Amino acid sequence: MFDNIINGFSSILAIGPIIGIITGVFIGIIFGAIPGVSAIMAIAIILPLTFYVDPIIGITMLLAVYKAGIYGGSISAILINTPGAAASFLTALDGNALTKQGKAGKALDISLFSSVTGEMIATLVLIFVAAPISIVSLQAGPIEKVFLLLFAFTVIGSLAGDSIPRGLLSCCLGMLFAMVGLSTITGASRFTFGVTELMAGFTFTPMLIGILVMPEVINTIRNRTAPHHNLSLKNSKNRGDNRISFKEFRSVFKTILKSTGIGTFVGALPGLGSSTAAFMAYGEAKRTSKSPEKFGKGSVEGIAAAESANNAVCGSSMIPMLTLSIPGDDVAALLMGAFLIHGLTPGPLIFFEHTETIYAIFAGFLLTDLFLLVIAKSGFGFFTRVASLKRYFIFPCVTIFAFAGAFTAGQNMNDVLILIVFTIIGYGMRLVGLNPAVFIIGFILTPFLEQNLDQSIAIVGTDYHLFFASPFSWVFIALTLFFVYTSARSKKKRAKQI
Amino acid sequence: MKYINKSLMKLISALTLCLLAGVASAEWPKKPINVIVPYGAGGDSDLTTRVWADAVEKELGVPVVVINKAGGGGVVGTSFVANAKKDGYTLINAGLGNMLVTPNFSKTPYNFDSFVPVVKMTAVPLAVVVAKDSPYKTFDDFIAAAKKKPLTQGSWGASSSGTILANIIADQAGYKPKYVHANTTAASMVSVVGGHIQSAVSFPPAFGPHVKSGRARALVMNQKMADFPDVPTFSDYGIKGSFEGWSGVFAPQGVPQEVVDKLIAATTKVMKDPKVLQAYANMGAVVDFRQGNDEAWIAGMQETSSIMKGAAEKAKKK
Repeated sequence: MFDNIINGFSSILAIGPIIGIITGVFIGIIFGAIPGVSAIMAIAIILPLTFYVDPIIGITMLLAVYKAGIYGGSISAILINTPGAAASFLTALDGNALTKQGKAGKALDISLFSSVTGEMIATLVLIFVAAPISIVSLQAGPIEKVFLLLFAFTVIGSLAGDSIPRGLLSCCLGMLFAMVGLSTITGASRFTFGVTELMAGFTFTPMLIGILVMPEVINTIRNRTAPHHNLSLKNSKNRGDNRISFKEFRSVFKTILKSTGIGTFVGALPGLGSSTAAFMAYGEAKRTSKSPEKFGKGSVEGIAAAESANNAVCGSSMIPMLTLSIPGDDVAALLMGAFLIHGLTPGPLIFFEHTETIYAIFAGFLLTDLFLLVIAKSGFGFFTRVASLKRYFIFPCVTIFAFAGAFTAGQNMNDVLILIVFTIIGYGMRLVGLNPAVFIIGFILTPFLEQNLDQSIAIVGTDYHLFFASPFSWVFIALTLFFVYTSARSKKKRAKQI
Repeated sequence: MKYINKSLMKLISALTLCLLAGVASAEWPKKPINVIVPYGAGGDSDLTTRVWADAVEKELGVPVVVINKAGGGGVVGTSFVANAKKDGYTLINAGLGNMLVTPNFSKTPYNFDSFVPVVKMTAVPLAVVVAKDSPYKTFDDFIAAAKKKPLTQGSWGASSSGTILANIIADQAGYKPKYVHANTTAASMVSVVGGHIQSAVSFPPAFGPHVKSGRARALVMNQKMADFPDVPTFSDYGIKGSFEGWSGVFAPQGVPQEVVDKLIAATTKVMKDPKVLQAYANMGAVVDFRQGNDEAWIAGMQETSSIMKGAAEKAKKK
């Protein structure tokens, strides 16, 4: 095993693969950071180009784009509150709150360090214990996933803020919007009112930008004449506010480890994706935090939890893909295509048939983390300088990127309409006190829940006891109940204090 | 980069178009060609199309850009192409689902006749798959058990090509499966291998790796494949019909014949390239190259379409 890894390193440490990784990291960060353009687009575009190079170079480059892309989303999320992807929208909540306090550097630091740590650990798990984990993950079928998703929904408790009823209402609205379009199960059109364009449902990226980003722009316009309204990002003069000290990092290290664990676990279960992992980790971090009231208002711990969990998914979604040829999410599916076209059929045999290539790719994973750390860190100065421009320079650009991003993702004018409609809805939600973040959670999790629930019902038929037949289910039922109980109790406690 | 290139190219070609307005379209292609894949990136249709696009690009001398317009079970992307300009610069990745199944089962703004078949690159035979420790060793065992008590069968949506073909098979064999709908056939293979469902209908790109590594067993499939020499075919069990998914490229009805001819010529060349053939074989697809003027192919598709129409009417009556 160890000699394989060392051999892997010796074949990755060559000019070709290193240039591939560096290019990949650059492309990934740029595509990830621009709102509306995602890493998956970058991968789809450069995939055919990699047919002509050695699989080691081609595949490590694609993976570098993937990892850097997931990370890149957090840069714009933190600095200008425009989460480009679902996975980084929790980072935007806390990260941008820190930026508004003048602590952008701190937020960027913690998101980079926790991303890289999460990825690194998940990659090590992939290298050393992929096979046993994949066997366990197979035990989680549709029934188990229903309970796991119900558990993920409990994060609403920690995001809903002061009013649980309003939080629940926002979530239900999100669920309702998620149901628009052609049902993947029955093929029936739901809530489309005969409009063909609605058959695809609401495209996620424009909706996300509309709900979370554009209302911010409207707010800035509305407050333009307000006195004391700061027109630009202020950077604290205090050096300590702009970096993360070792002490701070150590204090959140436990959260990072736990969130990485959650991310690795969810990533190894096919089909749940990085947002689910980030929600669960964030909820758990808030529950166990010493200062839960800070979450959503600039908590370093919150960023650490969300970022390490969603980046851990990058590494561990490779586990079911490589060992069982089961892609965990859409990016993994694309990467599996790349493996197949290069003649590397994923499956347990890949470790014996292509030992050298596969360990070189693993070594490339670890090297990517290193390059990501260095390249991203050296770019921070530039990123913050761009973001410190006056707001009347930044926000028109954000608006252009938002519209261009909405269009390019699907090359579809309807997506621009979706963006406009959801900008209005998102702004309206703020006015009446509904919670946009919880709305998004409802929207993201509902399709997964519906799909798995439908499958479970078909499997169970009339043997209802099957719902509770596996220990997996029991663990998640217990966790869900425990979570609901503790968040209700802490709410009561806080109410008493006030 | 490609996006920047593309928009630049678009601008330049738009300008030249203005200048050359009136000149006959003899020079097709002179700007990038878009091929719409009506499903997400990374699926079988997407990969098949990407390999094709990449290969014909060199023959045609202009970029052939693959664009994913997913959603609505392929309806959104396909309708987009049906309504696009008939200038040969917007093509559609066609398959069993978006051409023959969905138009018959759902209300769509297009039908099979809205398109001109250009080429078919690959076919994937449908198979019935069970887990390795399943008690059903042969398709006969499976039929016998399924007749006694409905078995769960993984598919991908009640009006998907998978379920409709599975229904035709089940009708002839005389059993009634209990469908479990995942969103992709790859996802239902996970449930088979994990022991959560008793069987699934699937295509080689999804089940191939599982069967080759011994985690799953294909009981029966549409046609013999070199990779699975011991698997009997449906006709061995007296089940009639063609149960295969396929992937090709169609153009909207009304494109100049010259465009279709040039595309066929370019594809004919690249389908001899061993690199392209190897890429398709690696994906688990069977190369089944057909040209748009192949009447047997068109007749076969029309027959399948009418079978689907019958099945849809039957489903509505229930």
